[in-house]
Amino acid sequence: MFKKVSFVILTLFLSITLIPNIFAADSIKVGIILPLTGPQAKFGEIEKSSFVMAVDEINSKGGVNGRMIKLLIEDDTGKPDVGRSAAEKLISQNRVVMLAGGYSSSVTYAIAGVALNKAFPFLVNTGSADKITEPVSFTPSGQRAERLRKKLSEEKDAKKIVKLKDKIARLEKRAEREAKAILPRFAIFRLNPPVSEYASGLEGFLRSVVKPQTAVILHENSLFGSKGAAAFRKSCKKLGIQVLLEESYDAGAVDFKPLLAKVKAADPDLIYLISYVMDASLLMRQSMELNMNPKLFAGAAAGFTLPEFKQNAGKASEKVVSATLWHQSLAIPGAKDYYDNFKKKYNKSAEYHGAEAYSAMYVIADVLKRARSFSSKDIKKALSETDMMTVFGPVKFTSYGRKIHQNRLKTYVVQWINGKLEMIWPKKLAKVKYVYPVNWLKERR
Amino acid sequence: MDLFLQALIAGILKGGLYAVIGIGMTLIMGVMGIINLAHGQLMMVAMYVTFVCFTYLGIDPYLSLLIVIPILFFFGMALQKYLLNPLIKKETILPENQILMTVGIGMVLTESMRFIFTSDYKSVRTVYSNATFFLGNISFSLPLAIDFIISILITVLLFYFLNRTDIGRSIRATSQDRDAALLMGINTERITFITFGIGSALAAAAGALLMPLFYLFPDIGGPFTRRAFIICVLGGLGSTVGAIAGGLTLGLAEAFGATYIGMEFEEMIGLIIFIIVLLFLPGGFRQLIKV
Repeated sequence: MFKKVSFVILTLFLSITLIPNIFAADSIKVGIILPLTGPQAKFGEIEKSSFVMAVDEINSKGGVNGRMIKLLIEDDTGKPDVGRSAAEKLISQNRVVMLAGGYSSSVTYAIAGVALNKAFPFLVNTGSADKITEPVSFTPSGQRAERLRKKLSEEKDAKKIVKLKDKIARLEKRAEREAKAILPRFAIFRLNPPVSEYASGLEGFLRSVVKPQTAVILHENSLFGSKGAAAFRKSCKKLGIQVLLEESYDAGAVDFKPLLAKVKAADPDLIYLISYVMDASLLMRQSMELNMNPKLFAGAAAGFTLPEFKQNAGKASEKVVSATLWHQSLAIPGAKDYYDNFKKKYNKSAEYHGAEAYSAMYVIADVLKRARSFSSKDIKKALSETDMMTVFGPVKFTSYGRKIHQNRLKTYVVQWINGKLEMIWPKKLAKVKYVYPVNWLKERR
Repeated sequence: MDLFLQALIAGILKGGLYAVIGIGMTLIMGVMGIINLAHGQLMMVAMYVTFVCFTYLGIDPYLSLLIVIPILFFFGMALQKYLLNPLIKKETILPENQILMTVGIGMVLTESMRFIFTSDYKSVRTVYSNATFFLGNISFSLPLAIDFIISILITVLLFYFLNRTDIGRSIRATSQDRDAALLMGINTERITFITFGIGSALAAAAGALLMPLFYLFPDIGGPFTRRAFIICVLGGLGSTVGAIAGGLTLGLAEAFGATYIGMEFEEMIGLIIFIIVLLFLPGGFRQLIKV
């Protein structure tokens, strides 16, 4: 009798303690790193909401082959070192199967370093500096070559330039060899276009509509800002636009007037700005206070497409043009639904950052469905075989130039018209006609 | 020339606002002998109060000064009474554990505001937010000019208070020599409450003044704490006149740096001046002006 009772108790005890474990093992853990506090928290929030919305939809439809996906979301506070330790924690302590997220380029690059060290799969959806998907840039020689290239751009002595160029060429060759060695460990994939391609849509608009002669580039002094500026300088060269001035600033400044006064004195046709949202609104407001009247104010995505830009810049946001990676009016299946559902659920407008995160979640689910096992190797293989449609556009990772595992997408141009963000370029896809020329003085009175 | 004048004006106007922020911190430093590292965060709280007043009650940011200043005054007093003063009596390894407390207060304030208002960027858009007037080719932002005038008013009032009233004199006495003040029959503990209250109220005033121009989110406090600290050191710890000079110096340095060196170095220029002053003028401007 006693034996029987103890047996029953034992089975009960075991089932109680083991069942939750079985359930826990049943969910697949995915690590997401986003800036949830700090100055970039707004972007992190929009992406987090989209990730959560997507994972809820996926789980309610049965998850991945019957198993639920569990998101472990870590805060990187917008700082590379915090992002790095968050990545390490997620990989070694929480035992997630893959990483995703990463907002700012600097943080994403730091996380990518960890992922590379551990040969761990990492799907980037927003971090846009080109070097994130360039294995060469992760090698010691590649990094040295990049430093020398910066030096080269400042060097004036002809003899030294030849010498430097020579050295860079040698280093690059060595970097390529080193890159081959790290390739097996390189499991970093990127869903969004790199920053050098952000302005590709805008180029068309400038070439056929605005035709500016001169330009000024203003950018934040971050990885995203300086790389975006360098890319746009190249675009300017291609279009025959003379860059009169290129200035950078610290994010979070109170008064941009001294900077803008300098821009006004240069009197350019085009002012191109690479800024996060609140700097963008202050820049636009203060340019209005200085009565600036160039042919066009153009933003490089990031801050210029958020609803907060319009709220905070007020009428100074009117008719401002920006590059963008996505717009809800695009003829992509599900894009409009995502936009509407997001608005219904969170009572806020979504924009391209959200679409990136939402699509990344669907890519992750798809990858986990196809992966043979959840080992890093199998997930990497499944990632590289991805070929699917998301609300952000088609996702297929290819190699070109120095990049590998890079999704190639078009970029578009939007304009704030009567308080609404409308897609205006390419012409074929646009539902609303662009407003140009703009008299900014009249527009903002 | 226009560029130079524009930078000069921008620097002076911004400097006036910085001075108010700096004076608040320097007062507290003078009396308590500690750096209030929650200064910017108190300012942030005041900005949220201004924001709520404007958005939900429709009170103009400048009018809301009359609400924000008393609220933060009593809030600051309570902080000193219930959180900072009890620490003085405790024996610890660290002699200045009140400073650690202010860091903690700052964090709690930031996170509570995030809890209530989320990380959303907020701003107050009044009709005059973007109003400008021109003198020659120099543009003046109307709210910044008003801010400057109110800053001067507040400073004058404060000096009158410190020099002509009983409590003001007691504050100065406590700041000069706490023990002597106690022997003269000053209730120094009460003075510390009042000083922290006034310091917070000044931060609040600066926050409310900044609101029509700037934007707001929970992490905005940190950069202002840093600026306030630089201003205090520039001016000489505990010197109110020094803080005015320090504020103007920082404002001008930032504006001229942004114009002639590059805006990306804006913060660096402030810090370089900070180091130079520490090296060659360790007592700050106070050494030069002896106030």
